[in-house]
Amino acid sequence: MDRYSIACATLFGLGCTLAASSHAQEVVNPDQWSPPREAKISPVTQDQLNTADKNTTNFLLTNGNYAQTRFYPAKQINRDNVKNLHVAWIFQTQVKESLETSPIVVDGVMYVTTSFSHVYAIDAKTGEQLWHYSHKMGPVTTYCCGPNNRGVQVLGDKVYLATLDAKLLALNAKTGDVVWNTDIADPELGYSETMAPTVVKDKVLIGTNGGEYGIRGFVRAYDAKTGKLVWNFDTIPENTVGVWATKDATGRDMHRDIQAEKDQLAKIGDPYKRLGGGVWQNPAVDLATNRIYFVVGNPSPDLDGAPRPGDNLYTDSLVSLDLDTGKFVCHFQYIAHDVWDLDAASPPVLVDVKDKSGKTIPGVIHAGKTGHIYVHDRKDCSLIRFSEAMVPQENMWTLPTKEGARMLPGANGGVEWSPIATDPGQDLAYAINLHQPMHYRVENSPYPNGKLWLGGAFTAIPGEKQSGNITAVNYNTGKIKWQVKTPEPMIGGILATAGGLVFAGEGNGKFAAYNSSTGKELWSFRAGAGVNAPPSSYMVGGKQYIVVGAGGNTQVNFRRGNNIIAFTLD
Amino acid sequence: MVRNLISMISRGIIFGALLSVAPALAQSIAEKVEVCAGCHGQDGKPKDKTIPVIWGQQAGYIYIQLRDYKRGDRKNETMQPIVSSFEKDDMRAIAEYFAKKPWPNLGQPRSPKHVAQRALSAEHSVGCTGCHLEQFQGDGTTPRLAGQSQEYLAKTIADFRTRARGNNPGMTDLMRATSPDDLAALAEYLAGL
Ligand code: HEC
Ligand code: HEC
Repeated sequence: MDRYSIACATLFGLGCTLAASSHAQEVVNPDQWSPPREAKISPVTQDQLNTADKNTTNFLLTNGNYAQTRFYPAKQINRDNVKNLHVAWIFQTQVKESLETSPIVVDGVMYVTTSFSHVYAIDAKTGEQLWHYSHKMGPVTTYCCGPNNRGVQVLGDKVYLATLDAKLLALNAKTGDVVWNTDIADPELGYSETMAPTVVKDKVLIGTNGGEYGIRGFVRAYDAKTGKLVWNFDTIPENTVGVWATKDATGRDMHRDIQAEKDQLAKIGDPYKRLGGGVWQNPAVDLATNRIYFVVGNPSPDLDGAPRPGDNLYTDSLVSLDLDTGKFVCHFQYIAHDVWDLDAASPPVLVDVKDKSGKTIPGVIHAGKTGHIYVHDRKDCSLIRFSEAMVPQENMWTLPTKEGARMLPGANGGVEWSPIATDPGQDLAYAINLHQPMHYRVENSPYPNGKLWLGGAFTAIPGEKQSGNITAVNYNTGKIKWQVKTPEPMIGGILATAGGLVFAGEGNGKFAAYNSSTGKELWSFRAGAGVNAPPSSYMVGGKQYIVVGAGGNTQVNFRRGNNIIAFTLD
Repeated sequence: MVRNLISMISRGIIFGALLSVAPALAQSIAEKVEVCAGCHGQDGKPKDKTIPVIWGQQAGYIYIQLRDYKRGDRKNETMQPIVSSFEKDDMRAIAEYFAKKPWPNLGQPRSPKHVAQRALSAEHSVGCTGCHLEQFQGDGTTPRLAGQSQEYLAKTIADFRTRARGNNPGMTDLMRATSPDDLAALAEYLAGL
């Protein structure tokens, strides 16, 4: 319970319920049938988090571990027995809207979030509710792509949550009570939060959304005990001009009119104050070097380059910082001066990779909206190679026009925010992709005071078929190993396990397991609503479970639901 | 106590509760909203079809519109003078006040099938529900469209296109990317939801 509700309760009793601000999906009559119970977990130590990649009981970080491999090391569920996988329980949240949560599991307690920043603690064995945190949303929220939330992280006895109205909260992991509450930024200027925080060494790392609203993006570290700001890194430096790159990371000409941009720069100066550069997803943490790696999203406005001459650093880039100080280490920009919103959103993954000479070195890989998987040297962020395109590419890079220019991939990708999974034993990265033919249009308007600033529109072309795929890419060769086509574009995420499997869901409600070496489908289930969330796995009572949210998706408009579904073997 | 209340009103948190405990303070808001009924309706049904429904609209959206009229970001001869004396706290409280009222049923008919099909195909192309949400109920600063007056929807969509409504260039871009016939179908479809 936060400060306001306590004041309400004592001063006015029932009156407060009536006065609560009304949000579309607000839970008016929350938990009368489920009195809160204590979530009996022991405090999560930094040591446990450091070794999460070897933990076959818990699922402690949004992408499994600090390297973000989404490779779960248990193999009770495997290629031979996955056909017997069945529902263990279904938990229904009170919020029927887009579900993008990565379930976190600690000592048999599961923490999931829903749209509008609700948190539920659930008994991971039975699916019973333990407690529910219903966030009192401020009246002003500005976000693109749905009122999503992608989850929490636990450190010590606290659960960390970032909310749609741009606040950072620490909750008591046992009870769901608010421990501290910090304003991250002003939602009236276009800031909002949908990502799960990454908590490491007493720092809560968080980015921001707002690239559609002319914000100035950042990644920040807050003190995990107090909520005080430790450091701030502006993803948009004061000099954003860069090197006037004419080609993208793959060497294709982007048709920039460099002279016109230089003239514009002389006229209006560096556009850094409103240049966007949101950070949608979690940073990877390299514990050995004490560095973090994350990707920065699109420049504002999305499709109109006129108000923002230059390369627009560090939009559409991989960036590395020092964890303790937030000081810049290195970057690599995929698309300079992006006018297609084909930005970088899917979280980077740390794995060992082969460099150009065939030597094994620490690498970092990212799956782009362009449909390529990019492989970098962790030392200096430089690009080693990029994979074959996982989706059709046509007319790249045609500039957006007034009438609409057709180009593939469409502005959602390729790979959207969806995290990829890897299986380091097989040198494979698994990505889910969208294929949506689109028209790119440009319009010009001045900065609108924190309002939607798209600089045009990308529209799906009626009559042109959309689809999706799951693609396994060998990141040491860049070659596609296998690909499974799906009838609809894919958004959500994927999990690989030591059982030789990958799990992924589709917008039509199908959730399936595939042989991670061949892509052969081995098991499937129909959830009844879009399965557009990253799956997790855990063990409780000696049994392995797979769990995933089935709540559909706002951005691609897949059928909404409110289910968290856990599967196990007999 | 009073200072406490004022700070809470200013946070826009407990306006409804206030009516019963602090009539003197509440009255000033009640007075401020009296004039609204003249056009937006005593029962939430606007007096004229080109006037929008504001009862049950999203609080964040109402607040931002009042703010924009006041700043001159949204231009309208009727609304601008009405809000000129409002402060941020008034606007937040007024927004909460109307957001809590029930959305009125204007009795607009469901659109015929061919209109709905056209509207949904345009919706699919742009992805209106990505922001206005699945049932077009809106959220935060994104307005509810379901059941809004068809004439008003058509007018404000046209105003976005011509930039006569210039307070959201993002919406202008999306409307300009959609054909007038598709937009007419959308207005009819949304009104009938
Ligand atoms: C004389 C008639 C009149 C009065 C009185 C009036 N309005 Fe309006 N209102 C309108 C009209 C007409 C519009 C549409 C204007 C436009 O197109 O920008 C409007 C628009 C609005 C909008 C924008 C709604 C939307 O969907 O975008 C809000 C909010 C609003 N009025 C609130 C109020 C409030 C609050 C009051 C009282 C303080 C009030 N109005 C008094 C006529 C009136
Ligand atoms: C990217 C988000 C987004 C998308 C996509 C979007 N809208 Fe909007 N829409 C908004 C926001 C935000 C506003 C509030 C505008 C303002 O600040 O004045 C709005 C306002 C409107 C209004 C004005 C309502 C009123 O009461 O005045 C209409 C009508 C509307 N949108 C229709 C549509 C239609 C139809 C589509 C699809 C073809 C669409 N919108 C797609 C975000 C969006």
